Amino acid sequence: MRRRQRPVIPAVLAVASVVALAACGGSSSSSSSASSGASSSSASSGKSGGTITQVFGTAPDSLDPGDGYTTQALEPDQVAYVPLVAYQHATGAAGGTLIPGLATALPKISADGKTYAMTLRSGLKFSNGQPVKASDFTYAVERSLKIPWGGSSFITANVEGASAYAAGKAKTISGITANDATGQITIKLTAPYGAFSNVLAFPAFAPVPAGTPMKNMPASPPPGVGPYKIVNVVPNVSYSVVKNQYWTPVPGIPSGNVNQINAKIASNTTSNALSVLNNSADVFDFADTVPPSVLPQVTSQASDRYSKVVFPSTYYFFLNSKTKPFSSQLAREAVVVGLDRNALARLGSGFFVPGCYLLPPPMIGHATKPCPYGDPATPNLAKAKQLVQQSGMAGTPITVWGEERSPRRQFVDYYTSFLNQIGFKASEKIIADATYFATIGNLKLNAQTGFADWNQDFPNPIDFYGILAAGDAILPTNNQNFGQINDPFINSKTNSLGSLYKAPSDQLSAYAGQWEALDYYTAQKAYFAVFGYASFPKFTSNRIDYGSAVLHQVYGWDWLTLKQK
Amino acid sequence: MATQRATEATGTEFSSGLSAELLREEQERELPPGTGPYRLAWRRLRRNRGALLFGAIFLLIVVACLLAPVYSHDIAHTGPNDEHITEQIKIGGKSEYVINTIGIPIGPTWHSRFFLGADPGGRDVAVRLLYGGRNSLEVGAVATLITMILAAIIGILAGYHRGAVDGVLSRALDVIWAYPVYILGVALGVSLAVGGINLGAINVKGNSLFVPAAIIGLVYIPYVAKPIRGQVLGLREREFVDAARAQGLSHLRVMASEILPNVASTIIVFIPLMLANAILLEAGLSYLGAGVQPPNPSWGTMISDGVRNIPAAIHLVLVPGLMLVIAVLSVNVFGDGVRDALDPRAKVRIGR
Repeated sequence: MRRRQRPVIPAVLAVASVVALAACGGSSSSSSSASSGASSSSASSGKSGGTITQVFGTAPDSLDPGDGYTTQALEPDQVAYVPLVAYQHATGAAGGTLIPGLATALPKISADGKTYAMTLRSGLKFSNGQPVKASDFTYAVERSLKIPWGGSSFITANVEGASAYAAGKAKTISGITANDATGQITIKLTAPYGAFSNVLAFPAFAPVPAGTPMKNMPASPPPGVGPYKIVNVVPNVSYSVVKNQYWTPVPGIPSGNVNQINAKIASNTTSNALSVLNNSADVFDFADTVPPSVLPQVTSQASDRYSKVVFPSTYYFFLNSKTKPFSSQLAREAVVVGLDRNALARLGSGFFVPGCYLLPPPMIGHATKPCPYGDPATPNLAKAKQLVQQSGMAGTPITVWGEERSPRRQFVDYYTSFLNQIGFKASEKIIADATYFATIGNLKLNAQTGFADWNQDFPNPIDFYGILAAGDAILPTNNQNFGQINDPFINSKTNSLGSLYKAPSDQLSAYAGQWEALDYYTAQKAYFAVFGYASFPKFTSNRIDYGSAVLHQVYGWDWLTLKQK
Repeated sequence: MATQRATEATGTEFSSGLSAELLREEQERELPPGTGPYRLAWRRLRRNRGALLFGAIFLLIVVACLLAPVYSHDIAHTGPNDEHITEQIKIGGKSEYVINTIGIPIGPTWHSRFFLGADPGGRDVAVRLLYGGRNSLEVGAVATLITMILAAIIGILAGYHRGAVDGVLSRALDVIWAYPVYILGVALGVSLAVGGINLGAINVKGNSLFVPAAIIGLVYIPYVAKPIRGQVLGLREREFVDAARAQGLSHLRVMASEILPNVASTIIVFIPLMLANAILLEAGLSYLGAGVQPPNPSWGTMISDGVRNIPAAIHLVLVPGLMLVIAVLSVNVFGDGVRDALDPRAKVRIGR
């Protein structure tokens, strides 16, 4: 989910899976690492109340949970829209553990893996005081399909009747039944889908009041159920979250420590970093890169409140396989072969490790074989030029799409220069961060190539392949499969591997080899010009209790754990 | 004959004609009888050493920027958009990365390569400074040309015809005037940068330099057209215009052969002032991402690229900033000199 602008869930889940598997094998080291990795917010000191400020380099794509899909959107949405299933609020691998959210317990999955049953907690109220009904969940799911939310294929591809509803051929989703009297919710899948409990943990499927307009409402997000509610939205400038007076505490979900969190959006990440360093702001958004010009200051003056955290995330240039020149595999190979990933790592302030596979290293399924086109840290420009000539695409005009903020602008500057070097005729189009992914995700634009990244939503390779590479994930708007990849082999493997197990992580490692084979195949076909895997800054002011602040591998900054010293 | 008339002309909003009395005084004192006003202006300009000095500085900048390809090819050996991110260069026998491992670019080397250092993309700042200047000046010059041509046409048409034509044209100018130039420029720049200009047979790509030039040229039209209109309103009542009409000349001929030469000095006075404003606006729009599109350099985009590196490499902002200040200052001072030379009593102000 977290689309490009933010890091996501999955690293935690992947790490959790690895830890769990290792623990099954009786490794004492794994259990110790698991315990050290988890840090409960309740364990720390600090005071309650007060107001803190987080600075963002990029605005959320939308604060409406039915549309928001970036990390900048998830941070506020996860405290204002608690879904039926949630994640443990802890650092490290423990953060990937599913816990009941608004449901009384985790979903009860039928023996065939196709039916999920839950019961809504009683006594819940929306932030406007309206009681929550089981059917509000159904409404939220339907709304996310109508908007449509960027990850709606998680539902349309798996839930009975969802695709018919999305296409306007049905009035409701036949596979979801909700009983308002008992609170029971039943979801029927077309086939087993191991990560479906994770899917239910997206804020996009958190209940919203029935009757909420079936359209994106970024400036006035709908009422939700959560410890906070979103207020004072000034699009692309600022917003706040304040305590929700109607929140009923739920076990496992902290009710939040501070009274108010102000979010300020300013594209100058240098001034953002300096304001946190100088304690005039409190939290630096983890999805922003600490600019190289202030990094030495930050590491020397704020070593007790700055660290790098690795999340499963992949940074790449998408290559549109449906249009020239990247409809030619040779042209795509040329990019993969010649790309100087070390150069890109430098532009990224050293926060990147070069790579070539779609699945990032901490995730099960990340291919371990050498990259099919040679060492990703050693570009071969001569061969790239030769491949462009062989492809017959030399001189093809290319528009390279990119975002304004650093270092993404610099990535695209380099990439454009590189494409020209190897024989294409490239020019770039840089657009505002807040509208970037929505723009290139509009199928009518048919964007040829550009920057993209993906932070895991949950620790399962299906989160990458199901959204970024599967043919049925191609949407007319909010499309995330920017390369418009519709490869029968990838489609079939994604479907079969997604259905192989019944619960997240419990059998994932058994299929690691098959995922690795798929990842290798994808790299061989050069569908993505992957250039690296990122780490992220955990950086706060000295007013914040740094030890208790959780940089969550799914939620990003976990606002429910932030507190002042 | 036409220029002689110009000295008698006065506008309601803008006064550029030297009074006949003053002109006669000057001519009697300094020049042989029959010396024309332009020759007179040139003599005055030559005596204004300050204006000439700044004019020469501006000329120097223009020449340096025009020689950008020579510097790039023969001295720096790199293009304005060529990236050297992972390269090492030797300075005083010591190897240094152009961009270090955490992304900080090398500072000025004072050698042929990376004389003024590298930018965050590993590109030679000196090369980009010259190419950027070329782009900035080119945009400024084309924008000024667009403004002057369209403003002259609109101003003369509105002032000469008055009535409905004047009403329509003046209200159209008012609409543009109602928007602050930067807001209008950013709005147009952002939208046209993506889609380009597509008007029938005219198709200009969004990253073309013509896009910011056209935008800047458009937003400044009212600031020149209105004073010209005012001047023409006065001129059209003069006897020589009546005489031309009485001789059976068409309106177009009257405007072209009688009115235009009499507003020529006003137009000339405006050119350097508009050029300075256009260069400044281009820098502002490019800084905001609505002008020259990356990776093409301009002084505005270079300042924008350097802002996030101020704590570690302030020269990335200072160098293009200084060039911008010097260029605009020099063209402004020279423009003032031209104005004083053409009309020592004129008070030309461009509203913003």
